[in-house]
Amino acid sequence: MNVDNFKSAWQQQSTGTHSAIEINQAKLAEIKINKQMKALNKMKWARIIESVVFLVIIIMLWKYIAAGFTFSAPIISAFILTVFAIIGLAGNIGQIVLISNIDYSKPISQLQTDFYHVCAHKLQLTKLLLMSVPFYLAYVFIGFDLFFGIDLYPYLEQHMIWFYSLSSLSLFIVTVWLLAKLNYKNISKEWVKASIQFIVGEHLVNMAEILNSFEQIES
Amino acid sequence: MNSTKKTLFAQAMEQHKGIIYKIVNSYCQNKDDREDLAQEVLTTMWLAYDNYNSAYKFSTWMYRIALNVAISYYRKDSRREDKANEECIVKIADLSQEDESSEAVKQLYDFIGQLDKLNKAIMLLYLESEPYEGIASSLGISKTNVATRISRIKHTLKLQFETQDS
Repeated sequence: MNVDNFKSAWQQQSTGTHSAIEINQAKLAEIKINKQMKALNKMKWARIIESVVFLVIIIMLWKYIAAGFTFSAPIISAFILTVFAIIGLAGNIGQIVLISNIDYSKPISQLQTDFYHVCAHKLQLTKLLLMSVPFYLAYVFIGFDLFFGIDLYPYLEQHMIWFYSLSSLSLFIVTVWLLAKLNYKNISKEWVKASIQFIVGEHLVNMAEILNSFEQIES
Repeated sequence: MNSTKKTLFAQAMEQHKGIIYKIVNSYCQNKDDREDLAQEVLTTMWLAYDNYNSAYKFSTWMYRIALNVAISYYRKDSRREDKANEECIVKIADLSQEDESSEAVKQLYDFIGQLDKLNKAIMLLYLESEPYEGIASSLGISKTNVATRISRIKHTLKLQFETQDS
């Protein structure tokens, strides 16, 4: 016995299934939005609000830079944080475009990839936040300048500068490695799966597994 | 949507509603989930119908949307509490109570139920006698890979039936 023997039985069930499913056409005609589209709309609004927040951060940082433009540690720090904020803003704009262009009649692999990228937003934001960890001194320099009016850098001893530089470099290497691994391609690794599940949820793990299946087929 | 389009949609849906039945029974284990998924599929098609290109077969368009919704369908248990407040647009009979379903079809549903989401989609399209090109285009993968996948699924099924028979 093989699948082809079942094909005709499968196709003939259409007559039987006709009575097994009842559609209320009148109620259907009143529908303006459904659960998935409601969820997508909610996401779109969340991204718009986040974009505004990033924009406000960028404007504030630029004002800070323009007010005291010198080659000092706080100003360089403000530049670094601006770069992160711009990346965040660009990512959010990309998300808004992606959500607006969701089309359910696209080929399955394409739509599922789009869905993955939409749902992976929280993961991307977490990655962005983690990427800024090696630059933790930027926050310290700006904080000292804003709250105490002090440029901390000239007060740091040489061995402290070396310590902070080396710790930042080590953190940078570890973070880049970690973030590169936190990808749907590595979802078969238990720690990647657990991390994605913890940061975003089971839903993204399922989607990552689907994308992986597509890539396995194509390879 | 104007009334002519509404009528066309209602007619096409009545004609092809079996597709929804087959997909929800393949992707969901319990009745609540099946009805919830059927409702999502139906409403998505209704809302996307304005962009339907009549150059394509309605059933192909319908399969693509229904499979996309089914694959991305995720329902948290807590949402079941909301069920009572929801408007019921679609009602589906329980598969186990369907006398009309032959034993072969029930066996197929059992087998499809064991496949992963992607293989389910391939199998459903294959059982509808969709050509490999059509399956490849709906899935967004190459025709060769569709053929390889189908042959693997068929082999697994054959082994399963052989085990059952012995």
